[in-house]
Amino acid sequence: MHIYIHIPYCDSKCFYCAFNSYTNLHFTIPSYMKSLTKVITKALQKNKQKIATIFIGGGTPSVIKPQYYEEIFAFLKPFINNESEISIEANPNSATLPWLRAMRSLGVNRISFGVQSFSDEKLRYLNRAHKAKDAIKAIENAYKVGFNNISLDLLYDLAIDSKELLEQDLRLAFSLPITHISTYELTLEEGSRFFSMPKVKAQKEELNFFIKETIKSYGLKQYEVSNYGKICKHNLAYWEHKEYLGFGAGVVGFRKNYRYYSHKNIQNFINDPFFCEKEVLSKEDILLEKLFLGLRSIVGVEQKILPLNMQERANLLVKEKKLSFTNGKYFNEDYFLADELALFIMQN
Amino acid sequence: MSQKSSQENIRNFSIIAHIDHGKSTLADRIIQECGAVSERKMSDQLLDTMDIEKERGITIKAQSVRLIYEKDGKEYILNLIDTPGHVDFSYEVSRSLASSEGALLVVDASQGVEAQTMANVYIAIENDLELIPVINKIDLPNADPDRVLTEIEETIGLDCTDHVLVSAKTGVGIKELLDKIVDRIPAPKGDENAPTKALIYDSWFDNYLGALALVRVFDGSIKKGQTIQIMGTKEEHQVLDLMYPHPINPQKTESINTGEIGIVVMGLKSVEGLKVGDTITDAKNPTPTPIPGFEPAKPFVFAGLYPIETDKFEDLRDALNKLKLNDAALTFEPESSLALGSGFRVGFLGMLHMEVVKERLEREFNLDLIATAPTVIYKVLKTDGEEIIVQNPSELPDPSKIDKIFEPYVKATILTPNEYVGNLMKLLNERRGIQVRMDYLNENRVLLEYDVPMNEIVMDFYDKLKSITRGYASFDYEPIGFREGDLVKLDIRVAGEVVDALSIIVPREKARQRGLAFVNQLKELIPRQLFEVAIQASIGNTIIARTNVRAMGKNVTAKCYGGDITRKRKLLEKQKAGKKRMKAIGKVQVPQEAFMAVLKIDR
Ligand SMILES: Nc1nc2c(ncn2[C@@H]2O[C@H](COP(=O)(O)OP(=O)(O)OP(=O)(O)O)[C@@H](O)[C@H]2O)c(=O)[nH]1
Ligand SMILES: C[S@@+](CC[C@H](N)C(=O)[O-])C[C@H]1O[C@@H](n2cnc3c(N)ncnc32)[C@H](O)[C@@H]1O
Ligand code: SF4
Ligand SMILES: [Mg+2]
Repeated sequence: MHIYIHIPYCDSKCFYCAFNSYTNLHFTIPSYMKSLTKVITKALQKNKQKIATIFIGGGTPSVIKPQYYEEIFAFLKPFINNESEISIEANPNSATLPWLRAMRSLGVNRISFGVQSFSDEKLRYLNRAHKAKDAIKAIENAYKVGFNNISLDLLYDLAIDSKELLEQDLRLAFSLPITHISTYELTLEEGSRFFSMPKVKAQKEELNFFIKETIKSYGLKQYEVSNYGKICKHNLAYWEHKEYLGFGAGVVGFRKNYRYYSHKNIQNFINDPFFCEKEVLSKEDILLEKLFLGLRSIVGVEQKILPLNMQERANLLVKEKKLSFTNGKYFNEDYFLADELALFIMQN
Repeated sequence: MSQKSSQENIRNFSIIAHIDHGKSTLADRIIQECGAVSERKMSDQLLDTMDIEKERGITIKAQSVRLIYEKDGKEYILNLIDTPGHVDFSYEVSRSLASSEGALLVVDASQGVEAQTMANVYIAIENDLELIPVINKIDLPNADPDRVLTEIEETIGLDCTDHVLVSAKTGVGIKELLDKIVDRIPAPKGDENAPTKALIYDSWFDNYLGALALVRVFDGSIKKGQTIQIMGTKEEHQVLDLMYPHPINPQKTESINTGEIGIVVMGLKSVEGLKVGDTITDAKNPTPTPIPGFEPAKPFVFAGLYPIETDKFEDLRDALNKLKLNDAALTFEPESSLALGSGFRVGFLGMLHMEVVKERLEREFNLDLIATAPTVIYKVLKTDGEEIIVQNPSELPDPSKIDKIFEPYVKATILTPNEYVGNLMKLLNERRGIQVRMDYLNENRVLLEYDVPMNEIVMDFYDKLKSITRGYASFDYEPIGFREGDLVKLDIRVAGEVVDALSIIVPREKARQRGLAFVNQLKELIPRQLFEVAIQASIGNTIIARTNVRAMGKNVTAKCYGGDITRKRKLLEKQKAGKKRMKAIGKVQVPQEAFMAVLKIDR
C-alpha cells in the first residue's frame, strides 16, 4: 500500500508554484491536523495490508510541529516495517535541527529538501523563504541526525540560468551527503505568479542535456525525466500505475479504476475530510497512462497491454532504435522524448 | 398581394462596380427607400445572405429583389440585381446583366475607375444596356466626384452629363437616383401574346422547396399550374408555385408576366436540369427561338481537396455534390495521391472561390480538409503525338515522353497611379509578363495591359500587387488561350520519398531558385519530430535543393506525480488531436499548411 499525506501550508508563496498551499492560514493548522488524523485512522481502521511507502508532501511539511505527526505515526506504526519507505519534504528555513531529529525518531527514513538553487539571487527571484547557506546547513543537520537517504530539488530554465550557474548549483549539491537529486525544468503553471510572465522561462533546450550529462558524471543514474540516484519507491509506484491512498486537502487517490479528489479548500476539508469526488477511468484512459508513465521512467511498457496497431508503431520505434525491447517490455532510454514517443505510438 | 403590372412600369437593372465600391450598401438604401423591409429587419448589406459574405463583407452571389416605388402618383416595379465585384465571380455579372435593361455603374468617389469597373462596363455595353453613372461615398473627406466623373468619361468614354452623386452610407441622393432609374432605364418590350420565353439566370437548391429557377420573362408569361418545358433538356414540368424574389420574405404570385422576374417552383430534387442560361417555354406552345444563353462558367484553378481522416472520402463527395447544387461553377472528379489518399481534383474560378469553397465544406459539412497548392491546366503534346490535359502536376508525363508543354495565358489589365508603374513593371517581368499596352489615362493614372502565364497570377499575384502599390492598383484578367512554355516538374521529397501532392510545375530557368525557397518554407512549417527529416527538391532524379528539420530534443513535462496524471493524460489527448490534424507521410507528420506552402514562397 502507498500513502500520500498533504500539508497545504507554506511560509511564502514561490512565484513558480501552483501547488495547493496557503501562506496566511497557519491558524487552521490544529484543526487541519485533527481532521487529517481522523480520515487516516478511519480509512485504515480495517486495514490488514502492510504499508510499502508513505510520502508526506506539500506545501511545506516542515512548518508542522512534530507533535502533530506523532499521533498519526502512532496509528500507522503497526503497518510499517523495516522495508517501508517513509519520505517527507522539507524546506531549508523551517527544517530545524530539533524538527529533523524528531522526524528521524518517528521513523522517517527519506527526506527531500526544496533547495531550487544555491544562488541567492535566483532564490530571491523565485521568492523563496531561504538562502543558500540555510539549505547547506539543513542538509548537513539531516545527515547529522541520522538520515542516510537525502534528496534535494533544483529548478532550472529560468531566464537567469546559464550553464555556469547550473554547474555551480550541481557542484554544491554533490558536495553534500545526498543520495538522490530531482531537477525540474520550470513549467509555467496556471495559478502561479509566473504563469502570465512567459519571459521568465529561458526555453533553452540545451540546459536539459547539460544537467543530465553533469549529474551522470557525478555517478547518479537517471530513472525518470527529473529524477536521479537511489530510486524513490513512492514515486516509482505512481509511474507503475499502482494504487495509492491520498489524505489531506486537494489530494488525489487512485484505486482499481477510479481516482478520487478531496476538498481543495482548507476550511472545506476541515469541515468534511471524508468528502471525495470520483473520476472513473476507462480502459483506454488506463492504457494511455501506463504508456506515457512507462516511457518517462525506467518502468517501461508491457507489450501485451498495447493493441496491435500500437504494437506496430512501437516496433517501428524499436527498429529505429528509439526504444528497446526486452522481456516483453518496451523501454525508453531518452526520457526527455517520452511524450513525443507516446504520441507516436498512440497515432493511428 | 400580387401587383398587377404592365411592362410600362417595370424597370429591371443591375448594380455593377469594382469590388467594395458600395454596391450592396447602395442596394440597402434603395430597398429602404422603397419600404420593402421593415426598419426592425433591416441589416447592413441585406442582400449578402451567406455567412461567409457577411463575415468577409463581400458579395459572392448575385441577389435579386423586387421593389415597388412610387413616382408622380404612379407605382413602378423595380427589379434590382446586386452583383459581386470580385473578378472570380464576374460570370455572375454577365448573367445578371442579361436579365436587365439597365445598370447602375457605381464608382467610389475617393477611388475612381478601377480594373473591375472597366471590365464590368464592357459587359454592360456588350449587352446594350442603359448605364447610369453613380458616384458613391461622396461623404468621404477625400471624395472627388468631379475628378472621378472626368475619369469615367476619359477612360471608358461614357457620357457622364446625366449622373447621380450619392452616399450609400448617409442616404444622400438616393431619391434622386430612384427617379432617374424610372426616367432613364427603358421598360421591357416583350411580346405579351407570344409563347412563354423566359431566361433562367440563376438556380439553386432550397431544402424545403427543392430546386428553384430564377427567371426573367421576355415574352408571354408563366402561370401557376402551367406545364412548361426546359428547352435545353426538353424536360417538362408543372409549375407548382411562383414567387417574387426578396431576401427576407419572397412573395407568392399566380403569374410572372412579360418583363418581370420571379422564382419558379417545380418540386425538382436537383438543379441539374435547371442550367443557368437555359430557356423556359410553354410545353404545348413553345417559342421557336430559345434565348442564346451563356458559356458556362469555366474553372481556371485546380487543386486537390483531401479529407485528413481518410475514411471521410464519401462524406466529402456528398458535401461537394450538395455544394454544387448552389454553385454551378464548381467542378470535381475523384483523384488519388500516394501521400494523401483519396480525394478530389476540384476546379475553381480563382483563389477567392477556392477559399470560399474550402471554408464552406469545412464549416457546413464538418470536414477537416487538406488543400494542395492550386495549379492551372496544362496541355501536353507527347512524343507519340497524343495531346493530354494535365490538371495535377504529378500527372505530368516523364520528360522523355514530352514533346511540348503549353500553358494558359491571360490578358491582365491593371489600373494604377503612375508612381507605381516602375514597381509593377518589375513584378510583371518577374512573372514572365509581356507588355501589350501602356496608356496614360490622365496625368496620374496608367493602364497596363500584359499577357501573362496564368500560373504566375492566379495564386499570389493579387496580394503582391496590392502590397507594392499600397492597395492603389486594381487588376482584372481574362483568359486568352495557350502558349508553349519551357516548363519542368519540381518534386519535393520528404525523408527521401517523393510527396506527389507537393509537386509543382515551374519554368525551367526558375526551378533552382523556387526549389530552394520551397524547401526552406517547408522547413519552417514542418515541426521537429522524433527523427531528423530531410527535405529535398528534385527534377527527375537530380536533387537541386535540400535542407532538413532537426530531430526533436525534448518533449515531456518535468513533473508527473500522483496528482498530475489525469491532467497530463488530458494534455496528451489534446496534443494527439492536434497531431491528427497533420498528415502522416510514412513516419513524418506534415501539417496541412505545408501543402499550400508553395503559395507563400517569395518568387
Ligand atoms: N463612407 C462610406 N462608406 C461606404 C459607402 N457605401 C459603402 N461603404 C462602405 O464600403 C464598404 C464596401 O461596401 P459594400 O456595399 O459591401 O461594397 P460592394 O461593392 O457590395 O462590395 P463587393 O460586393 O464585395 O464587391 C463597406 O465597408 C461599406 O460600409 C458610402 O457611401 N460612404
Ligand atoms: C511538491 S513541491 C514542494 C516542495 C517544497 N515545498 C519546496 O518547495 O521546498 C516539490 C518540487 O516541485 C518543484 N516545482 C514546484 N513548482 C514547479 C514548477 N512550476 N515547475 C517546475 N517544478 C516545480 C520544486 O522544485 C519543488 O521543490
Ligand atoms: S514550491 Fe514549495 S515552498 Fe514554494 S510555494 Fe510551492 S509548495 Fe510552498
Ligand atoms: Mg456587395
